[in-house]
Amino acid sequence: MRQQTPKSAKFAFGILALAAAGVAVAAEGISHRKAADMLYLVMSSDRAVYARKVVQRLTRDAELLTASEHFEDDAALPLPAQMFRFGAELAADKTEDFSYSLLSLHPVNKKNGPGTPLEEEGLQFVADNPGQHFYGEEALGGQRYFTAVYPDIAVAEACVNCHNNHKDSPRTDAKLGDVMGGVVIRIVME
Amino acid sequence: MARSVLAWVCGVAATLGATALATSWMLVGGDRRPLLIGATTDAHHQIELACETCHDAPPFANTAAATQALNATCRDCHEAALRASDDSHAPRLFRSPRMASYLQAIDARLCTSCHIEHRPETTRASAVTVAADFCAACHSEGDQDVRQARPSHATATLDNCTTAGCHNYHDNRALYEDFLVRHGTAPWLAATPVHALGAASRAPQPPQAVTVASAHPAPAAALSDPEPLREWRGSGHATAGVGCIACHAPSLASDAALGAVETHWIAAPDTAACRDCHQEQATTFAEGRHGMRRHPLVAPARDPDQGLAALGLDGRLPPSVLAWFADPPRPLRMTVAEARLPMREDAAHRSLDCGTCHAPHAVDARHAAADGCAACHDDAHSRAYFDSPHHALWRAELVGDAPPGTGVSCATCHMAKVERRGEVFTSHNQSETLRPNEKMIRPVCLDCHGIAFAIDALADVTLVARNFQGKPSVHVESVDWALRRAKGDGN
Repeated sequence: MRQQTPKSAKFAFGILALAAAGVAVAAEGISHRKAADMLYLVMSSDRAVYARKVVQRLTRDAELLTASEHFEDDAALPLPAQMFRFGAELAADKTEDFSYSLLSLHPVNKKNGPGTPLEEEGLQFVADNPGQHFYGEEALGGQRYFTAVYPDIAVAEACVNCHNNHKDSPRTDAKLGDVMGGVVIRIVME
Repeated sequence: MARSVLAWVCGVAATLGATALATSWMLVGGDRRPLLIGATTDAHHQIELACETCHDAPPFANTAAATQALNATCRDCHEAALRASDDSHAPRLFRSPRMASYLQAIDARLCTSCHIEHRPETTRASAVTVAADFCAACHSEGDQDVRQARPSHATATLDNCTTAGCHNYHDNRALYEDFLVRHGTAPWLAATPVHALGAASRAPQPPQAVTVASAHPAPAAALSDPEPLREWRGSGHATAGVGCIACHAPSLASDAALGAVETHWIAAPDTAACRDCHQEQATTFAEGRHGMRRHPLVAPARDPDQGLAALGLDGRLPPSVLAWFADPPRPLRMTVAEARLPMREDAAHRSLDCGTCHAPHAVDARHAAADGCAACHDDAHSRAYFDSPHHALWRAELVGDAPPGTGVSCATCHMAKVERRGEVFTSHNQSETLRPNEKMIRPVCLDCHGIAFAIDALADVTLVARNFQGKPSVHVESVDWALRRAKGDGN
């Protein structure tokens, strides 16, 4: 019998393939900034599709499933943020040419807080300047990176409720449309 | 002067000879025991002379390439189990450049950062060779400082995080906070304690009508001893309709004529005969401690001709010299005498195969589940089992005084029942629930016991040695802390 590829894996591979295409374009002469913008467009589009067409439709609208942080134990859907991170981990397992993360100044899980001075600066910038992106360069582990930070905005009531009510969340006053954190994309600079 | 020159000549010749010998052992073949740089860890000691199983980098590879190759072989054998464990520190979590500062302390992308072979003097339980306070490398500063983040951890010394019953580095499926909260208020013993998968696997099966003489012919010589036939008649094979031919002449159809059976008869079938029907059990047997020499990724003995061909010496050496380059025999079966756990002296000669625990004709899984273990194992925990409440329950189930799933045998805890697509089978890979012993909580303990009791019991070393005769004398506070924090008291 033919094995079915899990939807989550297809989704992650989709992001990876499109993102790899973006990096390949960068190698042909497009700037790091342009490549990062293209990667972000793919990531944010897929993230929005999963949140609306999968999670919101099957949970809030159809009430067929739930979405849970412990989705395996709860036989539930992974949260949109988890889905995003699984793709990032899979991509990191396949290439060192670029990487991406979903971070926040107010992370539910502390490991997703700013870990470098540039991350902190970028996350603060996108929080203070709605709609704008942040770009910079940094050296990590002896390698130079082009780093871009894009705002991650609360687009659904479920996002806000979960973050405000989670026992590990340092922020409990988030509202729809608030900047909850940022997508950080790094591209290796030769 | 002449004596000095002679000494130099002898010394140089001896050095060159020893170097040539060691190089030939490494690259061509031969007995490499003198080259072992230190005792291997438990379990790996069974395959320590199959060096290429782990050391498969090309000869003279640089350190970085050799390290990557070495770690790849770790993952080849252990990655499936780590994935199943929802590994809390999977290497993929550390590949982002933002983790660079943490990797300077411990490179969590590499297995060998914490598990180095051949270092018995620094090897702790679970083959860990990193210092006991290794968690502090990443969880003692900034936002990751658990002492700052959690009041309950304010005085933590960070040298017993993984040994006090609270956390594991890899497998935290039974220890993560929300799981503790969800199960934390369960009583120490369930009202009707039944191991569900054990009950499913031992549920009575409808017998099938078979007769050995008509459906399963066998050579007269094989039937001359009535004992195997008598044992078979009461076996699970008999009730399932599996006759002599299935194992002794597996290439034939069950209605083969006696003449053909006599031609194809195999007097002593090996594990391959069992694998034909019991694939999951055979596969997991080769993944566990009893049968790992059969694992398909264990390197076979080397063909010295290949190594000699690379040196341009194939076909040029006399047989007497060629014999030097033959790898020593590597029996597929480990003997009890080779075990590092305490074993019965009278079992030292036994070797491990399916038939060691499952008498080949009786094939009584109930015997293999406890008495079969005691035929070899002779440590305090094993001996104490036969006086334990678990054994009393097992005995009651065996004699029909208690329903299936209420008894607890050695196999209940150490050979996990696995459900796949509605079928339950017994995994023969003991490592799935062995160490750290908290791996046992979800698939075994929680069916009957509350998680707080289970964590305490497994953390009590003396209680484990007594095989759980009595109540835990130690208390792990993790469930208390989790429940208090869930109520919002800030723990």
